[in-house]
Formats: sequence, structure tokens, C-alpha cells
Amino acid sequence: MRRVAVIGVGVTKFGKHDRTSAELFAEAAREAVVDAGIEPQAIQALYYGNVTGGESERQLHMGPLAASLIGLPTIPTTRFENACATSHAAFRHAVMEVGAGVSDVVLVGGAERILHVPTEHATEYFAYCSDASFEQPTGLTFPGVFALIARAHMEKYGTTETQMAHVAVKNHRHGLHNPKAQFRKEITLETVLQSAYVADPLKLFDCCPFTDGGAAVLVASEEVARKHPRAVWVLGSAAASDSMFMHDKRDLSRVTATERAAAAAYRQAARGPQDVNVVELHDCFTIAEIVATEGLGLFEPGMGGPAAEKGWTSLGGKIPVNVSGGLKAKGHPIGATGAAQIAEIVTQLRGEAGPRQVEGARTGLTHTLGGNTATVLVSLFGRD
Amino acid sequence: MTDEVVHLKDFFAEARAGRLTAIRCTQCGELAIPPKEFCAACGKRGWESIALGGAGTISSYTVIRVAPRGHVGQTPYAVAVVRLAEGVSLLGRITDLPLDSLRVGLPVRFRPLVSGGETMVGFGPA
Repeated sequence: MRRVAVIGVGVTKFGKHDRTSAELFAEAAREAVVDAGIEPQAIQALYYGNVTGGESERQLHMGPLAASLIGLPTIPTTRFENACATSHAAFRHAVMEVGAGVSDVVLVGGAERILHVPTEHATEYFAYCSDASFEQPTGLTFPGVFALIARAHMEKYGTTETQMAHVAVKNHRHGLHNPKAQFRKEITLETVLQSAYVADPLKLFDCCPFTDGGAAVLVASEEVARKHPRAVWVLGSAAASDSMFMHDKRDLSRVTATERAAAAAYRQAARGPQDVNVVELHDCFTIAEIVATEGLGLFEPGMGGPAAEKGWTSLGGKIPVNVSGGLKAKGHPIGATGAAQIAEIVTQLRGEAGPRQVEGARTGLTHTLGGNTATVLVSLFGRD
Repeated sequence: MTDEVVHLKDFFAEARAGRLTAIRCTQCGELAIPPKEFCAACGKRGWESIALGGAGTISSYTVIRVAPRGHVGQTPYAVAVVRLAEGVSLLGRITDLPLDSLRVGLPVRFRPLVSGGETMVGFGPA
């Protein structure tokens, strides 16, 4: 494989939009093209991510649609769907296309538009990412899936609702400094702990919001990247799965797909968790951040909760996690999230993150989880 | 012994009649919920059907208070992962148990929950 780099990134404001998801992606793509300083005609392929468009926008065949709106109607396109890990999965494939020498510049990312439908419709569409035979008929929701994980983690390690609340407070504090974030407002532990249960033991403020938004990343070959002084290298990008069925998971307190994807990405990058300076990980729920910090090897199993409580994952802490505000405060347009996380890490490694900059960050990691923990992507990035 | 797959349609037809079916790998003994073509543990193909007794204990549970469309009128309701006595797990809706009585380790028993043409796995008092 050839070395591959990211030469440009773009992210829309996250929140509520009155434009289609393809329009949102086109805006992010334009920002990425301007950021990279390339001509759009240099882009040779589009890998596009979207999850609920068929239901929420009555729109399929979104790859050529997005390419048409960007002004590149003739390039080959592919649409990806891997639940909430969609655009990170697309990114891995873009890296492979460039790494294999098929293309020199590939545009990758995704978008989602969901806030125009009622909450119970959005909850239903997201639930389509769990199994339709055993799980959807029971009325299991995504907060419900992570509530099952939370209860198992609390039973095994003594993790507390207060520790989970610390994750929400920290990510909201981080989001204050991100102009693209959906929520730019500090919250207190009491706000989280006194919010209503959505799926016990998870409360409203343990959950990330529904979000509209788009994110785009330009992946390029080493030869192209050498002309871009702000290029950030892709050190590794790995995917792993776990059974689609909750009933097949042996230990609900772990996300084994995270552990497998992380091991593969660290191996590709010839680096370990101790080398990572900044992390954007999948905090769709507060417990998801705690379990991910353990699965990525940042903390020992069971130490994710205490680490959140002690501030080890805050900006200025041992290993800053989700300095963008994470899914919790920045927002979670599910088709865009993976690319948005990559955009944040690229911004951090360039040293361009302003008040949320992790000083001296040289190696960064992104982690995106799809659905009922069945899909996980982990990528590593470096300045050199 | 059979190398026939227990399909979803068969599993839920049996469940509707009050019987839970698992499959056991004839090569390595792995017990699984069907359908599976190859054994995820050993990669071989050779299954025998096993009738499960339906008794188990809750390994995790949640009370859903914000529901998807189609379940909105049913809240609050509980969903649990249950470890069955034979060593395999199943996810199901809790029925006929007070929500505040739920805890990890609580013994429960399978019962089918039938609504129109749909069957879902349910668990009620042991």
C-alpha cells in the first residue's frame, strides 16, 4: 500500500437545517476543497455515507446526487451504510483505493438529515440498525442497547451514574469552544443526574442528540500530499465487527469490536495507546465513551468511569477525549460523524484548533461505532 | 443429527407454540441461537436442534421510556438479556413482572408474546 494522507477537511454547522442531506454534504465538500486548495476536478471518486435517507428523505442513490450537487457529475460514486460508523467505513475504503494506486484523490464523508421528522419516527429509523427479527419487535431502542451495556458495566465494575454524568459535563464544556457544535452550553452534574430516564439507567443528558449535518475529507496519495504542507498522514485504518445479535454477545460490559479494530489499527501504525495524544471517540451515550476508553487501551477495564470522574479525559488531562464536544455536544448526524471526527483530529494535528487545541498533539485517533456495537472503525493519524 | 438450518420462520413458529429452539455444533459443541450456516466458534457445519427449557436469569435489563413509533403507547416497558439455563442468551420483552422488581440475576421464564401475525420473545415470572 502507498502512504495516504488527508489534505483537506470540511464540516457544516451541526444542528437543524432546512437543506437536504446531499446539499449539506456538498457544502462540507466545498469547504474541504477550499481547505486543500485543489481544483475540484482533481477529485477522482466519491465515497458517500448516509443512513436514513430512504426513510427520512425518500432518497436513495445518493452518491451521484451528492456528486451532481458538488459539480462533479461524472466521477464514480458509492454510497456506504454501516449505521453510525458509516462515513468512517467509507473513509477506510477511500484510504484503500488511494493506497492501492487506483486513484490519487478521493472525496469521502457523509451527511444526515433527521430533525424534520418526529422523534418517534427518528427513533424507529435508527432502530432499523438493530436486528429486525429478534430485537426490533421488543421495542428495543438505541438508548436501550446502551442501557443494557451500562447496567452490565455497573454490575461488573461498580461504574456509577455520576461517573457517566461526568462524561456529559466534560463534552459539553469542550463543545463551548467548537463553533460548529450543536450545543455550546455548559451543563452541571445535577442537570444530567436530574434529567428524565430515557432507558434506565440512561437519562436524557446521557444521550447525544438527533442532528442534521455533513462532513467531508479529502484523501490523497503521498505524491499529491507532498505539495500540501498541512497534510496529515493516515497511519492506520481498521474495521472490525461483532455479532449483530445482542444474544450472541458473551460480555455486555465490553465492545469487543472496538478491541479488535484498535489492535489492528495500532499494528498498522506501529504505535500503541501510550503514543496517542488526542482522541475523538464514539460517545453516542456517556457509557459508550467509558467503554470505548477501555476498549482502545487508554485505561484498564473498569477504569473508564473513574478516569472520567478524575478529569483524565478533559482538555489538559492525561489523554484528552472528544475536545470537539463529541457526539454529545457537537451533535451526531449519523452519516457524517466518522468524517467529522477525522476532520477534528486533522485540525488538532495541524495545530489549528484554537481554544480547544491539545498542545503539541502529534498522534491522534478516531473511533466510530455502528449500531448495536456490531461495527467499529478505528483510525490513527500523525504529523509524520 | 442434521445439517439443516433452523430458519427464522421455524424458530418463531416454534416460539409461538411455547418452545424455544437452539442449535448445537456437532463438531465443537457450541450452542447458538439460529439461524447460522457455519459455526462461528469452529467454522464447521453440522448442527443438531436442541429444545431449550425456557428458564434463565436476567444478565442485563433496561426500562424503555422513549419508544419508537409502533411502541409509543406501551411505555414504560422493560427489555432484558436473559442467560438461559443451557448457557445461551436471548433478548426479550419482560412481561407480568413489576418494573421495580427487576434486577440482574432475577430468575425468569420464557413465554411467547403474540400480537397479530408477529411473535416476540418474552420473559415472565420463573
